[in-house]
This record gives sequence, structure tokens and C-alpha cells, in this order.
Amino acid sequence: MIITSLLQVKHRDHTGLHMRELTMSVKSLDVIVEGRRSQPQQLIEVLQDVQDLCGYIPRESMITVSKELGVPLIEVYRVASFYKAFSLVPSGKHVITVCLGTACHVRGARRMVDQVAGQLGVSPGGTTSDGLFTVECVNCLGACALGPVVVLDGVYYDKMTPRKLSRLIDSVRAADSEGRANA
Amino acid sequence: MQNYVTLTIDGAPVRASRADSVLDVAIEYGICIPHLCHVPTISDLGACRLCIVEHVQNGRSKVTTSCTLRVQEDMVIRTNTDKIRKLRRNIAELLVAEAPNSRAVQDIALRCGVKQVRYPFRNKTCTLCGRCVRLCAELWGARAIGFVGRGKDRRVDFPFGVRPDFCKECNSCIDLCPMTITPCDGPMKTGEERLCGKCEGQLLMNENFPDFCVWCALGEGFGCARHA
Ligand code: SF4
Ligand code: SF4
Ligand code: FES
Ligand code: FES
Repeated sequence: MIITSLLQVKHRDHTGLHMRELTMSVKSLDVIVEGRRSQPQQLIEVLQDVQDLCGYIPRESMITVSKELGVPLIEVYRVASFYKAFSLVPSGKHVITVCLGTACHVRGARRMVDQVAGQLGVSPGGTTSDGLFTVECVNCLGACALGPVVVLDGVYYDKMTPRKLSRLIDSVRAADSEGRANA
Repeated sequence: MQNYVTLTIDGAPVRASRADSVLDVAIEYGICIPHLCHVPTISDLGACRLCIVEHVQNGRSKVTTSCTLRVQEDMVIRTNTDKIRKLRRNIAELLVAEAPNSRAVQDIALRCGVKQVRYPFRNKTCTLCGRCVRLCAELWGARAIGFVGRGKDRRVDFPFGVRPDFCKECNSCIDLCPMTITPCDGPMKTGEERLCGKCEGQLLMNENFPDFCVWCALGEGFGCARHA
């Protein structure tokens, strides 16, 4: 399958995924569209599954989805580029989400953003050049009493301070390099 | 089922075919409703908001876009109340601030009575009217371009930003684009944008005949459906 090889080439330089997972993910793309072929109304669900699987929506997957569901390519691209839940570029291995909602903001969430930006050298929406971290901002996570809230890979950290955040980032980094040394 | 309905536009009873939009009918009867994104023969999107009218129902009036409003029996429409003209002038003002580098947009601003622009000029290259997108999809079935992104990043683009091989390179998208008609004095540079306002006679026309289609020369510029 042409798409298989394309995906592999595309992913090889991307630190987040390894070769074995890749072949799996291509298979799973088949699994995702299976049973939903020629059903344009399933577009968003399919894209959500692709996002979950790859962490972003690869170009090639959009082409496949367009063909399989019978949705014009521009329509797939329009939807994928419209919703914030979809990302068109690979995100880092770890995702740091800083809440900038009103409650967190008044408790100094801006300082968290500055801390992350200073420590990792990326502004919100960006990914570090080593592909380890992606930084995002949201407007309220519904946990205002615990603010400022920072989420790392789905885990909520409450009452954050720049110092705590800095240690958190360091610990993730340390764990990652350890993991790589053992691999 | 009857194929014709009778409705009232600006106090005049008019007969129209059931499938028509209020804008179609008004243009046909010589009532001027400025519009930008409406193009005859392709579907209406309601993108530019210029064609707003008041739809009076049970003593209440609702402001809505006439290009997407189907005619109904006994409908009462007002196209040139003070309220509408004020709203429309503001929409046109925003439009010309967003994309001053188009004679079409400048013309519309004039016809809507814009005398000064209170918003910062952005000098965008697209008004997001969606003429090109609908034309490509509906006339050619190519679907080579579409809206991408959201909010202030919304734009017209090819899939992934590259011209796909199914684009017929017919250039009809460009033919219909209001941004391809440059202002009479040539393109304005960033920082030098202004309200053109050279066709002052047209501004007078707007004051004296706000609700009549006067076959204004401006109409040609913005591809008014009357001239199409
Ligand atoms: S050139 Fe023709 S086919 Fe290509 S985007 Fe424009 S209208 Fe569509
Ligand atoms: S490119 Fe031109 S026709 Fe297309 S949406 Fe923008 S202004 Fe309208
Ligand atoms: S404002 Fe941050 S959780 Fe509500
Ligand atoms: S919104 Fe009706 S013509 Fe643009």
C-alpha cells in the first residue's frame, strides 16, 4: 500500500512514534474507516479517532479518509483545520496545557506561560525542537478553585507556581532520558 | 400548490415565484439592496451580511439577510429603514476597513453611504465572500478550494495549500473575486489605505435615492446581480 510507505517515511524523523507503532497505526487507519466507508456524516468521528491514534492528523490520512468516506478532500481539510481538537502538526511526546481562564489568570497563570516559554523556548501552540514537549493554552478547565491549573499528559496539577512547574518539567525530562538510556 | 406568492417590499405589493429569495425579487423590481457575496445562479451563503432587510412579522421586525430569505405569502419586508441603513453602513465600513484594496468593496461602501472609516485598515486580500468557493464547487464540481482555519485565521485555500490536480485551472474563481478589481488609482500600499470616495456623485445618489436601483455605475464594479 502506497499510503503505508508514505506514512512510514513521514513518521521516521518524528521522535514521538517508533517504527513498530507506525505499522500498527497504518493498520489501525484501516480499522478506523472500516464499517464507515462511504459515510460522509462520520467524518468528525473518524478524524477524532485518527487524532487519538497519531496525536495529530497526518496529511496522508486525510487523503485516505477523503477517499474512503467519499468526502471531498477540501472538506476534510476544512473540518480538520477548523476544530481546535484537531492538530495538523505532530505534537510532542508530552503535552503541557496551561489554563488561562479567568480564575487561573487572576492567580497568575501568565507566569506559568512565561515559565514554560522560558524553560522550553516555545510559545503556546509550539513544540520543542526535540519533539519532547508541546505547549498549549486553554480557557478554563472547570477546576477554577484549584487554580492556577496546569495539565501534563492528562494529569491535573493544581495551585501551580513557576517553581513547581519548572521541577515538573525537569522530572519529565529526566524520566525521558532515563527511559531512552534503558531502551 | 401555487407557484406564485404576493409580498410587500417597502410598501409595494410584488408578485414573485415561490423559489426566489427576497433579494432576487427586490433586484428584479428595481429596489436597491446592496450585496456582495450573492451571485445569480450559485447558491447563497449569507457571508457578507450587506443585504440585510427588516422582516416584519406580527408587529415585530427581525433583521436578516435577504439573499438567504425565501419569499412567503403576505411577507412584509422593509429594505431601507433608518435602522437598516445604519447597520448596513456599519457593515460596509467594516468591509472596506478589512479589504480597502478593491474597487468593488470601495464602491459598495460608497453606495451604502460610508463617509469615513473609524476602524483600522487591515488591507486583507480576501473579503471571505466565498464566491470562489461556491463557484468552484457548484459550477465545476471541482471543489479545489475551500475555507480553511477559523476566526481571524480563516482563509480560502487549496487542500494543504497546494493546487490539487483536480483543479481545472479554469480561473473562474479569480474572475468572480471582488478583490481582483483594483481601485481606480491603483493598489494602495500598506499604511496608505483610505476610503476612496472619488465618485462623490454616487454618494449623492445614495442620499437622494437610497432605495431605488438607479443602475449605478458602481453596480458593475461589485458585480451587482442587476448587471449580471
Ligand atoms: S481554477 Fe477553477 S477549478 Fe481551480 S479552484 Fe478556481 S474555480 Fe476551482
Ligand atoms: S478569494 Fe475573492 S471570491 Fe474568494 S472569498 Fe476571498 S474575496 Fe471572495
Ligand atoms: S480558570 Fe483555570 S480551571 Fe477555570
Ligand atoms: S449576505 Fe446576502 S449578499 Fe452577502
